[in-house]
Amino acid sequence: MNLFSLQWKESFRAPQWEAKATIKILIGVVSLYFIGSFLFLGSVVYPALNKTVLEREPLEVFNSVLLLFFFAELIIRFFFQQLPVTNIQSLILLPFKKRQIVNHVMLRSVFSPFNLVPFIIYLPFAISMYRDDYLETQALAWWLALLMTTLSLNFLLYIINKNNTYFVALVLLLLGTIALDVYAETDLGKMVGIPFDAVVNNPEYLVGFLLLLCGMYGVLFFFLKKSFYLDAGLGKKRTRVSGGEFTVLNFLGDDALILRNDLRMIVRNARPRQIALMSFLFLFYGLVFFTQDIYRDMEYVMVFAGLFVTGGFTMTFGNYVPAWDSSYYKLLMTQNISYKKYLLSKWNLMAFVTAVSMILAIPYVYFGWDVLAIIIAGAFFNMGLGTWIALFGGLLNKTPMKLNVKAKAFENTQSFSLTQFALIIPKMVLPVLLFWLPSYFITPTAGFISLAGSGIVAIILRDKIANWVTVLYKKQKHETIEAFNK
Amino acid sequence: MIQLENLSKKYEEVTVLEVASLSISKGEHFGLVGNNGAGKTTLFSLLLDLIRPSSGKVSINKIEVAISEAWKKDTAAFIDDAFLIDYLTPEEYFAFVAQLRKISTDELQTFLAQFEEFFNGEILDQKKYLRDFSKGNQKKVGLAAAFIGSPEVVILDEPFANLDPSSQIRLKKFLTNDQNTDCTLLISSHDLNHVTDVCDRIVLLEKGAIIKDTPKSPETLKELEAYFSAQ
Repeated sequence: MNLFSLQWKESFRAPQWEAKATIKILIGVVSLYFIGSFLFLGSVVYPALNKTVLEREPLEVFNSVLLLFFFAELIIRFFFQQLPVTNIQSLILLPFKKRQIVNHVMLRSVFSPFNLVPFIIYLPFAISMYRDDYLETQALAWWLALLMTTLSLNFLLYIINKNNTYFVALVLLLLGTIALDVYAETDLGKMVGIPFDAVVNNPEYLVGFLLLLCGMYGVLFFFLKKSFYLDAGLGKKRTRVSGGEFTVLNFLGDDALILRNDLRMIVRNARPRQIALMSFLFLFYGLVFFTQDIYRDMEYVMVFAGLFVTGGFTMTFGNYVPAWDSSYYKLLMTQNISYKKYLLSKWNLMAFVTAVSMILAIPYVYFGWDVLAIIIAGAFFNMGLGTWIALFGGLLNKTPMKLNVKAKAFENTQSFSLTQFALIIPKMVLPVLLFWLPSYFITPTAGFISLAGSGIVAIILRDKIANWVTVLYKKQKHETIEAFNK
Repeated sequence: MIQLENLSKKYEEVTVLEVASLSISKGEHFGLVGNNGAGKTTLFSLLLDLIRPSSGKVSINKIEVAISEAWKKDTAAFIDDAFLIDYLTPEEYFAFVAQLRKISTDELQTFLAQFEEFFNGEILDQKKYLRDFSKGNQKKVGLAAAFIGSPEVVILDEPFANLDPSSQIRLKKFLTNDQNTDCTLLISSHDLNHVTDVCDRIVLLEKGAIIKDTPKSPETLKELEAYFSAQ
C-alpha cells in the first residue's frame, strides 16, 4: 500500500502534471474509441467466421490463428511496453522487503493497456460463442485460458525485454513456425490452438493454464529478485561503446560537429532509436494510399500521403528538437556555439534525411509518375518549410527527454499543448492548399510547381528563416533551460 | 573583465540575490563562499545567462550576456551534470568541446596530458560512456573540459565536492599553476581551506547579499571560520 501511495505522489507531483493529466484524458478518449472499435470487431468476428468458413467451427479457425495474435502482441509489447522499473533505485535501501518491491513491480506491470487485449478482443468473441451454442462454462473457460496466456506473455516480456538475444531467438522461432506452416504445410500453428480447443470441452484443463501463469510469475519473480541490485536487472544497464565515429562527415567541417553528435545520440540511445525506426516505417506509408484506386482522384489525400512518405523523420525528430539535448542543454547554451548554428545543424540533419527518404521513395514510380511527382514535391516542402515548422513545434515542447528510456505506447504526446496541436494546420493543411489551389484553378502541373516551389524558395531563404527562428528560440531560452532542469 | 550592475533575482517576490555592483578584473581568482541557499549557484547562473535576472545586467569583456552571444567564445563553465553529454565517451566529449573551441586534436592531446595524475588512469581509454562513470570521475571530465582552449573566464560551481582527497589536492595544484594565472577563475566552495588556497579574493554571500568582499590575507581563513561558526 505504501508503495502505491509513492506511485500516486510521483504522478501528481510531477512537473507539468496538469498537462500530463490532460494528455491522459485525451488518450483516454482516443483509447475509448479504439476499445469501442475492437469491441465491435471482436463481436463481429465470430458471426463473420460463422458465415464464411462453413466447413469449420469459427472457434477452431480462431484458435488456429492465435499464434499470429501472440506473435504480433509480443512484438508490439517489446517495442512499446514500458516496464515499470525506473524509480526502484531510491527504494532499495528503504525498509521494504525485496519480495514486496518485486511483487509491486510485477503487479504494476499487469495494469498495462496491453493487458486489455483479453477484454476487448477475446471477451466479445467469448460472448458470441455463448450466444451461439456453447455453454457459459465453455465460453468462460476459453476466455480464462486466453486471459492467463496474455498475462503469461506479459511476464515473459519482462524477461526478454532485458535481453535482445532472447527476443531475436523467440522471433526466429515464431517466424520459423509460420514459415514451416506456409511452405512445408505443417500444422504447427494449429497445434498452438489445440490447448484452447481442448479447454472448451474440458474446463478442468484450465489448471494447466493456471500452472503456466504461476510458472511464469515464479520464474520472473526469482529472475527479478536475483537481479535486484543497482548494477543488474532493475537498475541502469551499462552499455558497451559501439561505433559512432562518423568521420565521413568531416568534410562538412564545423557544421558536422553538432550533426555528428546528433547521429551518435540517435545510435546510442533507446528513445531516438525508436524514433528513427518509426520514421523509416513512414516510408511505407504511401503503400496504404497509393495502392487503392479510390484515393487516386482525391488529390488532397495523395498530397497528404506523399508528405508522410518523406516527412517521417522531420515530424518525429524535429518536434523534440531542443528536448533531445535537454540533459546537456546548459553546456550548449554556454559553449562556443551560436544558437543559429545549432538550429542550422538540426536543419541540415532533417533536410539530409528527407533527401535520402526522397531517393528511397523512387520505387513509388511503380504507381505512376504523378505519385512520384507528388512525393518529390512533398519532399521539397518538407525540406524547406516542414523542417522549420517542426523546429518551431519543438520549441513549444518543454518536457525534458529521457534519452535512454523507451517511449510508452501512446506517449509520443509528451508535453502536449494547444499551440502544438494548432501546428497541424501549417504542417498538413498548408501543403495540401499549396498543391490543391493551383491544381484546381489552373492545372495539376501548377499544383506540383507550387508545392515544390514553396519548399525551394524556403531552402534559398534558409538563412533568413534561421535568423527569425533563432530570435524565437532566444526569447524562450531561459524558460527552456529552467524546464529542462527538472 | 566581469561587471555586475544592480543585479537581482526574485522568485515570486522572494529575493534570492541582490548585488548592487561587483567587478572582477582579468586574472583574478575569485572565490565565492556561503551556506546553502546563499545564492552562489544563482549568481553563477546569472553570469552565464542561464537564468533571466529580475533586474540589472551582467557583462563579460564588456559584452552584455543577455544581449549578445559573443561572450561564449571567452567563457567556459562547469556547474552541474547538465554540462556533460552522457552518451559520449570522455575522449569524444573532450573532442567535442575542443572542436567548439577550435582546438586541434594535437593540441587537445597535449592539453590532456597534464591531467594524467588528476585522471588517475580512470578516465581515458575506458571504453565506456560518461553515464557509466562514477560521479567523481564525471566531475573530473567536466572540470578538465572547462579549461580546453584556455578560455579567459572559467566558472566552476563546487569543483571540490565529490572528489577524493588526492584529486582535490591535484585539482588545487592545477588551478594555481602558472598557465592559469591569466585566467579569470570563479569558483564557489563549501571548503574554506581550498577556496582560500586557490583564490586571491574572497566574497561571502549570505541570503543573496554580499556581506564580505576582501583580498585574501593570511587571516582570511581564520576570519571565515569564525564567521561560519558564529552562524
